[in-house]
Amino acid sequence: MTGPPRRRRLRTWSALGELGRVPSEYEIVTHDTNYTLRTGRSAALEMNPSSPANLWFLTYRDRSPLQAPDWNGFRDPDQLTYRAYVTLQDEQETVVRGLLDEYSDAGHDARLPAAWLKTLALLFTAARRPAHATQLCHSYVAQMAPSSYISNCAAFAAADMLRRVSVLAYRTRELQRAHPTVGFGTADRARWETDPAWQPARRALEEALVAYDWGESFVAVNLVLRPTLDDILLRQLGETARDRGDDLTWLLLANLDLDAARCRRWSTALADYAIAQRPENADVIERWVARWTPRADAAAEALVQVLDRARTS
Amino acid sequence: MALLRRDEWEDLVDDIDWTPTYVDDTALFPDWLAGTGKVPRDAWGAWEVSYKVSYPDYVAIQREKEAGVYAVKAALGRSSVFPKLAEGWKTIAKAHFGAVALVEYMGMLGELRMARFGLAAAWRNTATLGALDEIRHTQVQLAVAHQLLAEDPQFDWAHKAFHTNDWVVVAARAVLDGMIAGANVVDLALQLPFTLETGFTNLQFVALAADALDVGDVNFANMISSIQTDEARHAQQGGPTLEILLEHDPERAQWAVDKTFWLSARLFAAITGPAMDYYTPLEHRRQSYRAFMEEWIVGQFMRSLADYGLRKPWYWNEFLEGLDIWHHSLHLGTWFWRQTLWWRPPAGVSRAERAWLAERYPRWEDLYGPLWDVIIANVNANRMETTFPETLPWLCNTCHLPITTYSQSPYDGRWQVRTYPLDYGRSTYHFCSKPCRQIWWQDKDLFGVKTVTERLVDGEIQPPDMAGVVAWMGLTPDVMGDDGDAYRWAEEYR
Repeated sequence: MTGPPRRRRLRTWSALGELGRVPSEYEIVTHDTNYTLRTGRSAALEMNPSSPANLWFLTYRDRSPLQAPDWNGFRDPDQLTYRAYVTLQDEQETVVRGLLDEYSDAGHDARLPAAWLKTLALLFTAARRPAHATQLCHSYVAQMAPSSYISNCAAFAAADMLRRVSVLAYRTRELQRAHPTVGFGTADRARWETDPAWQPARRALEEALVAYDWGESFVAVNLVLRPTLDDILLRQLGETARDRGDDLTWLLLANLDLDAARCRRWSTALADYAIAQRPENADVIERWVARWTPRADAAAEALVQVLDRARTS
Repeated sequence: MALLRRDEWEDLVDDIDWTPTYVDDTALFPDWLAGTGKVPRDAWGAWEVSYKVSYPDYVAIQREKEAGVYAVKAALGRSSVFPKLAEGWKTIAKAHFGAVALVEYMGMLGELRMARFGLAAAWRNTATLGALDEIRHTQVQLAVAHQLLAEDPQFDWAHKAFHTNDWVVVAARAVLDGMIAGANVVDLALQLPFTLETGFTNLQFVALAADALDVGDVNFANMISSIQTDEARHAQQGGPTLEILLEHDPERAQWAVDKTFWLSARLFAAITGPAMDYYTPLEHRRQSYRAFMEEWIVGQFMRSLADYGLRKPWYWNEFLEGLDIWHHSLHLGTWFWRQTLWWRPPAGVSRAERAWLAERYPRWEDLYGPLWDVIIANVNANRMETTFPETLPWLCNTCHLPITTYSQSPYDGRWQVRTYPLDYGRSTYHFCSKPCRQIWWQDKDLFGVKTVTERLVDGEIQPPDMAGVVAWMGLTPDVMGDDGDAYRWAEEYR
């Protein structure tokens, strides 16, 4: 034998070698970790290219109208790793826990006026289901996105929505105990399924759940529906709560809005990146925005009416 | 008033289903993804895991775990511990990182599929956190492996392996892709959390953590045992899914579990088997691979089958017989084709090691001794070219591993390696065993991927020699494997 060949001293993954700088910890653990996107593949999965799963990836991911030469160039503006995510959210949950503790001791719920309780029952505790629907959309984009940089953002967004559902669930039980006859917890599903205020939003989210092209799902939910709904269900509802003396709801929604703002940051950055990578993507995104905006507007209109009534009551 | 206990409000987290009316339920949950099959849609409402974790508990617990792992990584990362570890252990670490780190991300895709298409709200929520777990496992293993890059470029394959067509990786993808992202969520839950995670990886990770501690790789031990605590939690998704499926379609449940157990066992024999019986330094071996499998995998799996009222798989005798055969054959094969590996496999057949093997595997000397003796003679005569292959071995069309399994002839009692062929359409397919052949036949619409050897024969790999093969697999000269002990082990046979 001729002895072992001289070994390179690698500073980082060979896949990151062309970066021209030292990669961040975020890049080291996030870069190109979805091997179903490997170059030179005959199909996403090492199984029959005509199997349902491979055809699904081919149709809704690889042949999406939203295309870029290099999706792995995208970076989350917040550069979240798993470690950073659980640290960040544990801190936020500590804030939430502090709020819940403080306000339960102050007998906050007992003092809420009856008219405001109705608004909370309709727009706050009944919002667990739309939050869950959004969680499902994020989970879908996370599994179908063309880069692990995108998938991780979407997976964290899905977990954020589970966080939101959890905060809403906690408050639902507290409000239910303080006001057993308002329907907190017991009428949430019926309100979501039948109250006119929710029907356009429910329609939009149910339709978004079957928008299986990853790009369309991303545009519909991250760029259109969620920003619209978050503006009403987090910001406007929060401000109205503050005006009606419900500081707890205001503070909780302001905290949840931090997650929403983070989602908007990476979603906007991704749209910008897609267009910078391939200018034709602007038309693709425009087309989807045009398709989903009327649905978001209809959802907003119905929900805002409830808020308007609450503001004037 | 004070904070509510978790059990006072957590039921409302899963109280989130509704009846869709704007789109069909079958469009929201297409059956090839949701996989309900013969199970009535409403039956999934009973889905429940016994140990739940809420979102706030999750981030609190995981933050602490992460702090622990990264603290050890920071403390030991720049120390001189790793370079001094036994070569055999480094080999195990390299094989492990390459074979596992990005598979965790495939696990994430599987968890996300359950998080979207599971037919119970509790299941979808559990899987949402399961997906985070799998991101964690990808990231923490990449972080630790990355730290070792300066030590050896073979650690680059922690990230690179699954992007290549290395035959080990193709075999792993062929088994795991179908088991995870190729499956509907019901089969997926039986195949990934129930069979692979509960049946194999959990236990292997426990053993691996103990081995790492034993040889002094505290960083690895700490990382792997921390990962295992997550696996134990999210692997719970298998049980409730299996219970519901068993009520309505027991044959389907039996098939998914049987098939996955067999394919997982094949894959483990290729990687864990050689690691335990050949790579682990003799003084650190506490248990043979067979003893480990019998005690932990077989015992545990049999208990699980009994708990759920499943039958013993139809191939049980062949599987048990394989515990004496598969991994020895696969080790011989992987060592001989060592250029195609991203690690340097120790031969593990010094006189003392052979005595250890012979004591635990009474047929070892008869079946494998003569083959190694030829290799030893060639090494000692410096006929090194004869210790390398000229082409690829024939690979099984199901597990994609080399057809190297000895079995005993029922007629003359001789042990021989044979293929189990099947003519179908215009092709003849070859299998390592009857179970692999049967699995292929039952699921033939899902297979249908050429083995690496078939690609070579079809002219997809050029030039069609070993140099061409190795380059096609993505192996560079400084990474491709060679003997882990620079052939010094053969000297005592001179």
